[in-house]
Amino acid sequence: MNTAAPVPHLGKYLFRWLAILTMLGLGAVSLAVYLVFDHTLSVRQQEMLDQKQASLTHVLADDLKEHRTKSLQHMLMDFLAGHGDYAVYIKDDAGNTLFDSRTASFPAHHSIERSFRVSFYSEQSEQLLSANATLVMDRRPDDALLRSLAWTLLASMVAGSLILSLFGRLLVRKSLRPIKALVAQIGDITAKDFEKRLDGSALPQELHPLVTQFNALLDRLADAYRQLESFNADVAHELNTPLATLISSSEVVLRKPRPVEEMREVLESNLEDLRRIASIVGDMLFLSRADRGAGAREKKSARLAPVASEVADFYEAVALDANLRIEIDGDASAPIDAPLIRRALSNLLSNATRYARTGSAVVIQLRNRQQADHQEAVITVCNEGAGIEATHLRHLFERFYRADSSRHNADHNHGLGLAIVQAIAKMHGGSVFAESDTSGTRIGIILPAS
Amino acid sequence: MRLLLIEDEAKLGEYLRKGLSEEGYTVDTAINGVDGLHMAMELEYDLIVLDGMLPGIDGFAVLAALRQSKATPVLMLTARSDVEDRVRGLQSGADDYMVKPFAFSELVARIQVLLRRTCMHQQSPEPTILSEGDLELDLIRRKATRAGTRLDLTAKEFNLLALLLRRKGEVLSRTELASQVWDMNFDSETNVVEVAVRRLRMKVDHPFGTPLIQTVRGMGYVLEARAVG
Repeated sequence: MNTAAPVPHLGKYLFRWLAILTMLGLGAVSLAVYLVFDHTLSVRQQEMLDQKQASLTHVLADDLKEHRTKSLQHMLMDFLAGHGDYAVYIKDDAGNTLFDSRTASFPAHHSIERSFRVSFYSEQSEQLLSANATLVMDRRPDDALLRSLAWTLLASMVAGSLILSLFGRLLVRKSLRPIKALVAQIGDITAKDFEKRLDGSALPQELHPLVTQFNALLDRLADAYRQLESFNADVAHELNTPLATLISSSEVVLRKPRPVEEMREVLESNLEDLRRIASIVGDMLFLSRADRGAGAREKKSARLAPVASEVADFYEAVALDANLRIEIDGDASAPIDAPLIRRALSNLLSNATRYARTGSAVVIQLRNRQQADHQEAVITVCNEGAGIEATHLRHLFERFYRADSSRHNADHNHGLGLAIVQAIAKMHGGSVFAESDTSGTRIGIILPAS
Repeated sequence: MRLLLIEDEAKLGEYLRKGLSEEGYTVDTAINGVDGLHMAMELEYDLIVLDGMLPGIDGFAVLAALRQSKATPVLMLTARSDVEDRVRGLQSGADDYMVKPFAFSELVARIQVLLRRTCMHQQSPEPTILSEGDLELDLIRRKATRAGTRLDLTAKEFNLLALLLRRKGEVLSRTELASQVWDMNFDSETNVVEVAVRRLRMKVDHPFGTPLIQTVRGMGYVLEARAVG
């Protein structure tokens, strides 16, 4: 059915095709019956003619034996008595008609003829003569039979296909009824019904995948909706904290006349909070552009080690401060938007240096690997440390998600860093991953490389 | 130096005018595209700060009309950070582009860069030795000394100190430092620049009496000799 392009009405479509197919099927059967019957009739006609020919030859031979007990005329009339559908005519070799039983009513065009040689005793010449006899058989009764058969077959073909397709249509209507029930169920689901799912137990087997898939879609939508709701709450919360500080500090400082130094300090503190708000809004705008499908600006094939080493240089002071080494292991190449990849790597390093064990190495691992049908570049940032629990690991790339609620450096970290890493991976058509065990954590990006 | 500011948001326009005046520029303002274009065509300005979204004719149209006959440097401001807008702005002849909200100190820095670029031919070649007080940086030998003592700096620390020295007295934001020293052109949510400056300070300022690298809270860092206390 999916090959026939537009199906305006399933019921009508099935009705039409069922009618045509039934007509064709019954037509083929009827044609076969008709042909077999026609052939059987012809064979029987030939057999009848064989019989008549034999008995006519026999009668004439008997007459010879009994020495003209009857005249030829008389004998042949006796032979034909009671057989109205047969006629005989005999012509001598010169073409003179010696006998002809055909009457005007005998149908010349609806008959079968058979000619053969016969011998008989001629009264006129009183000797044995040989002549051409022709047996004529009236075919009209058989033709009438054949004709009525044809009509019967035709009628049953039309009636049969009508009945079948009407039944078919009824069946289609009946089997589509569960879909109407399904439509009613779907109609009952509103945007707020996160828990409501379709009940497919009463539906035919064929519709079960549809119900399963639809329910899976509802699950995904509900997840996305919940995520969006909590995201909104997180945004509000994240902006609310600095806003509350800004409002109350401004109000307090304006209540009384203050020395310039004190005013200055409040303004400086306000500026820090405002910067933080601007940075959150900037990151959210970046994420929303990525969500709307903005891709990487220009992707040029590049080696990743130099890019990683630039970012490692950026983190030099942080690493020295925390007594960490940043190492680059291997190299890979992929088409990248270098500023975006720098930003992603910076966020990954920021995360890794924060959780790395003092004195250990943070390793940026760069690998190209061959997948079934394409090449990929894998950037992994590994740090040694306590590791992240599996329950947190799943949510690591969610916006504003914090595995550690008492995270230090909250001023610098508003929980969008890894979400931005994921967005940048998506902008390159790639993906992210995170693994963790008791020895440490590995978070990275997979980029398509060919 | 005479600047023209074309900005329709009254509050922002007034603050910018005030801030730029205090930086020593003569600032004329226009609150719509038609007036702004008229002033830009009739009078001589060293630089125009142009808002992208204006009532009447928008910033892009003003810029296009201006570029028919004048090459006055233009710094565009816009609330939208879409790449297309940025590209469109630069393609239609803007010399630089800033996204709102921006740090005032960065606006000043960019204006200075643009002005410096246009009168480059009058400038003497860059000195190879930078100094402030008893701090001296030899850019060719990449040697830093303070009060005669050699400072042991990493390459990036040297670059950071050189930038602060070259632009001494000017407040440089963290974003600008990240961009100029490390070529990291994004608003980093890390404390990398802070840590780097703190470490630089330990080498440049701590062993010696007077601190040279100053923190301007909420804005950034500036290199200048300040009386302690």
